[in-house]
Amino acid sequence: MALFYQIPKLNYHKPKNLNEALKLLKELGDAKPIAGGTDLMVDMKIGRVKTRNLIDISDLREIRKIEFHKDSIIIGAAVTLQEIINNERIRREIPILVEAAENLGSWQIRNVATIGGNICNASPAADMAPPLLILNSKLKLSSINGDRVIPLEKFFKGPRQTELMVDELLTEIIVPRESCNAGMKFIKIGRRRAHTLSIVAVAVAVRTMEDKIEYVRIALNSIAPTPIRAYKTEEELIGSRVNEVEGKVKKLIEEIKPISDVRSSAEYRREMAVKITIDALKMSIENWRCKEK
Amino acid sequence: MSETSKLLEKWLKAEEFIIVGKSIDRVDAIDKVTGKAKFMEDYTIPGMLYAKIVMSNEAHAKIRMINLEHALKIPGVVRIITAKDIPGENQAGYALPDQPLLAEGKVRYHGEPIAIIVAENPEAAVIAASELNIEYDPLPTLLDPLESMNRRDILIHEETGSNIAFTTKVRRGDVSKGFQKSDVIVENEYKTQHQEHLYLETEGALAIPEIGGTYTVMSCAQYPHLAQAITARILGLPTNKIRIIQPYIGGGFGGKDDTGPLVAAQAALASHLTGKPVLLIYSREESFRIHCKREQSIIRYKSGATANGILTAIDVKIIMDAGAYANRGPFILWRATMHASGPYYVENAKVDGYCVYTNKVYQGSFRGFGNPDIQFAVESQMDEIAKELGLDPLDVRLKNILKPGMTTMTGQLLDESVGVGKALMMLAEKADWRKKRKMYENEKGRYRKGIGLACGWHGISTSRGVPDWSNAIVKVSKDGGVEVYTGITEIGQGTPTTAHVQIVSEILGIPLEYITIHFGTTDAPDTGATHASRGASIGAIGVLIAAAKVRERLATLASEILQCNPEELKFENGKIYSKNDPEKSLKWKDLVNEAFNRGVELSSTGYFYLPKGKFDHEIGQGYAYPAYSYIINIAEVEVDMETGIVKVTRMWPAIASGRIINPKAVEGQIEGAIAQGIGLALMEKVEFDNKGAIINPNLTDYIVPTAMDMPKVEKPIFVEDLFRYGPFGAKGVGEMALIPTPAAIANAVAHAIGKRIFELPLTPEKVYFKIMEGRICQK
Ligand SMILES: Cc1cc2nc3c(=O)[nH]c(=O)nc-3n(C[C@H](O)[C@H](O)[C@H](O)COP(=O)(O)OP(=O)(O)OC[C@H]3O[C@@H](n4cnc5c(N)ncnc54)[C@H](O)[C@@H]3O)c2cc1C
Repeated sequence: MALFYQIPKLNYHKPKNLNEALKLLKELGDAKPIAGGTDLMVDMKIGRVKTRNLIDISDLREIRKIEFHKDSIIIGAAVTLQEIINNERIRREIPILVEAAENLGSWQIRNVATIGGNICNASPAADMAPPLLILNSKLKLSSINGDRVIPLEKFFKGPRQTELMVDELLTEIIVPRESCNAGMKFIKIGRRRAHTLSIVAVAVAVRTMEDKIEYVRIALNSIAPTPIRAYKTEEELIGSRVNEVEGKVKKLIEEIKPISDVRSSAEYRREMAVKITIDALKMSIENWRCKEK
Repeated sequence: MSETSKLLEKWLKAEEFIIVGKSIDRVDAIDKVTGKAKFMEDYTIPGMLYAKIVMSNEAHAKIRMINLEHALKIPGVVRIITAKDIPGENQAGYALPDQPLLAEGKVRYHGEPIAIIVAENPEAAVIAASELNIEYDPLPTLLDPLESMNRRDILIHEETGSNIAFTTKVRRGDVSKGFQKSDVIVENEYKTQHQEHLYLETEGALAIPEIGGTYTVMSCAQYPHLAQAITARILGLPTNKIRIIQPYIGGGFGGKDDTGPLVAAQAALASHLTGKPVLLIYSREESFRIHCKREQSIIRYKSGATANGILTAIDVKIIMDAGAYANRGPFILWRATMHASGPYYVENAKVDGYCVYTNKVYQGSFRGFGNPDIQFAVESQMDEIAKELGLDPLDVRLKNILKPGMTTMTGQLLDESVGVGKALMMLAEKADWRKKRKMYENEKGRYRKGIGLACGWHGISTSRGVPDWSNAIVKVSKDGGVEVYTGITEIGQGTPTTAHVQIVSEILGIPLEYITIHFGTTDAPDTGATHASRGASIGAIGVLIAAAKVRERLATLASEILQCNPEELKFENGKIYSKNDPEKSLKWKDLVNEAFNRGVELSSTGYFYLPKGKFDHEIGQGYAYPAYSYIINIAEVEVDMETGIVKVTRMWPAIASGRIINPKAVEGQIEGAIAQGIGLALMEKVEFDNKGAIINPNLTDYIVPTAMDMPKVEKPIFVEDLFRYGPFGAKGVGEMALIPTPAAIANAVAHAIGKRIFELPLTPEKVYFKIMEGRICQK
């Protein structure tokens, strides 16, 4: 019984397999997939999302799996954040995903919240987006008519707007193995030490050669309408010396558009984006050096 | 000396204790950790209706029309109640009669209750509340107290002729002479913010019509007799028709002292008008928008001191944002005013306070009651004086600290129970203050440590001559079971489930299992509120006296049976025996049985009226409080100079609050108060938009500290500076550790970064830009 708010009557569907889910999605037309529901239920409560049909995808075996292939690591969209944290191979091979997941919400939330939900919700503050962006991740979007694979950069269209069609489900997140071969770091600034939405967060991946940056990826959240890659800054950094990064990262200010809200002013976000990007770069370089040894 | 005073004194002077002073587990611990304990939501009654409040969407407006027609047609809606349906008096004001239960004619804050929807199911109530048609004629709004206090063209309460609800003053000596004598003058403006109580459980009440035209209201109020009085006034019934009881309450912190009774009255009103049981529970957002907040303060503080750090004068102006209604504002201001010197001696003082109406949610009781604001200013000033003079802040405090025999700023003699100086010295030693203070001065790196110190004091009981009393009923059954009735409530602090059972167990010498405390009910005599840190102090005097009276009677009986002097009898472990001849003994149960057979009364009340003095408002001098509890916190922080993020790493508390009845319970209160103080110091702030609406009325946007934000809290130092009227000398603890926490942290941050921030909260952003101030802009 909801004592305090009213959710219009709706139908709850629990398909047995992926195919059934995709069929339902097509047939119902206006259905919303629900995974952990940690974003969706809040949105329904405040009336931001209205739907007459919910399709529960949280238990679909096909998309709740982690696979390690030769060229890629595939994470099913319905994998929970706690499952990512608990997975020893992920921890070893893509530790940055664990770092980001450990900083998201609380343990109770992480036990139900999914990685796919975090991406599909397309919040400007989504914490799993920056690490997945720097890993050059691809998304597999499936519908009853077939699958398509797109790079994550192409997925976000605006706050809570994505490339997904009404009959499509995000089924897999594909992380290319070669992207894992870099020094990486995730840093998030929030308003308190845990259980906090980001003021700004950054993920960085770096490879250096003879003290020069030869590969770099930078992605941030909460400083634009969607999580973004900092292409210009990356360009600026390529080829530069390790001890020059501080100056080069100043470029970042040109490609971010932070706003002021309850969590922070735009000015603070701007300054912190630069600071933590420098920090993350330095630590990534350090991590890369350790890795090379 | 009266019988009650003799009994109080006898137990104050007791030298040995069986259970007082021991860390027993609270008797509700198992039920609470296993989820068995019942809270408001766990009670339902067949046929019960659901109520929901319709809130104002304007901060200041005339209500032109409330059109019920449409909403009444929604299936399930039973009744919609507005001000004109109130059978009694639509008046719920506390300090002043300025606050309606349901807005009448006009609204004064965004979120103010206007109507109550009563429906057969919660869904219907929710829909009707969102669809009720209310038309307003907006009025200009006043949101800034500094503006509001100078405006007469816009009045929030027309009848008053001014937006200043209340003023206070203290005058001692001659401040201009005092400043002339000083070698250093420090003058600053401090700002504190609205804080939300954020109890785990929101406000609620369940009203049930009973036989004989009476109502039982299960309420979350912190003062059942106040809930009873307000409910009776609203319903137009005598108080004897209203019975208040309470389940376990999920946190109060003062918010339910003020708003709890109003919610009881709202539920009872709905029940009265429909003839059915009615449940009303506020949603989180409703709770945020409707109930009182910690006041916002602006404090201008000027202090003068001699070169060796002796205070010569203070000149203080306190402006508090009362919000839309006076509520407790005048008392909060009064308390802040009387504590404006801090626990220090000062010869010349001038303090002026203003409690100002604005069109924001009204202020109200919140742990510390105006005192955290003023101590933030006082204790920042002490550090600034020390800095100017090149002295250790500890020494400046020690030079001015109040000692027994001194007078306070209002001229009141403190003849006993002033343990603050001792506590301060012990704490500085324990925290290794001098060494850390020097060591952290030289920090150069990105992460800089700082250590800060702040003292606080808190007057016990109501202020001035405002009457305060205690009471309770103790009754013993034939089988030896003891029941206690008290109006003190259980709001998570555990007073009835620790201190009260311990007091009864100590005095009657019986095991805890023999004792049940019926708390939070008007079945008990008026005990006063569970606020002002009084539950286990003033609030427990009644329990002590009632139990002690029963013991005296039983001792007389036992001495007759055992043929010995009553004074040589010991009551222990369910036995009564002569300490000179332990063979002479009786079982508690047998003695009780004998009392029933021989006509000895085993029920008793424990009324005690606190003797007080007078305060003269004209001259701003006089008696403020019967005694003070004292607290000192030392905070250690680490500041990230690149981001402004402050991490509180360690806290050392010391408390001089008389007898500690249950050390573990006190530690719990200290840790909880520190957590809430960290929230006030670092992150919490209720934000308003330019229309007076709260923009963060939810748990996504309003943040409080998590377990990860808590520092290591060291074991507190207890200085047991007994208070003559306290039960066993106890003074009160609940609010204490919050009071100096913001100041201690702000002082530690100032120590770490070398600059001071005068406005709470110290968000990463504020600290960062403070650090950057004056540095060359690198953009
Ligand atoms: C208390 C709390 C704290 C939080 N803290 C954080 C935080 O620190 N950082 C952060 O980034 N987020 C945080 N969140 C937000 C949220 O938990 C995460 O975004 C989470 O990963 C969402 O996953 P979910 O499975 O719960 O998504 P859901 O709520 O089930 O779904 C979210 C949206 O995505 C759609 N969707 C879900 N899965 C798919 C799919 N496979 N294909 C297509 N569409 C899909 C849904 O229809 C819905 O629109 C917090 C939330 C709460 C309640």
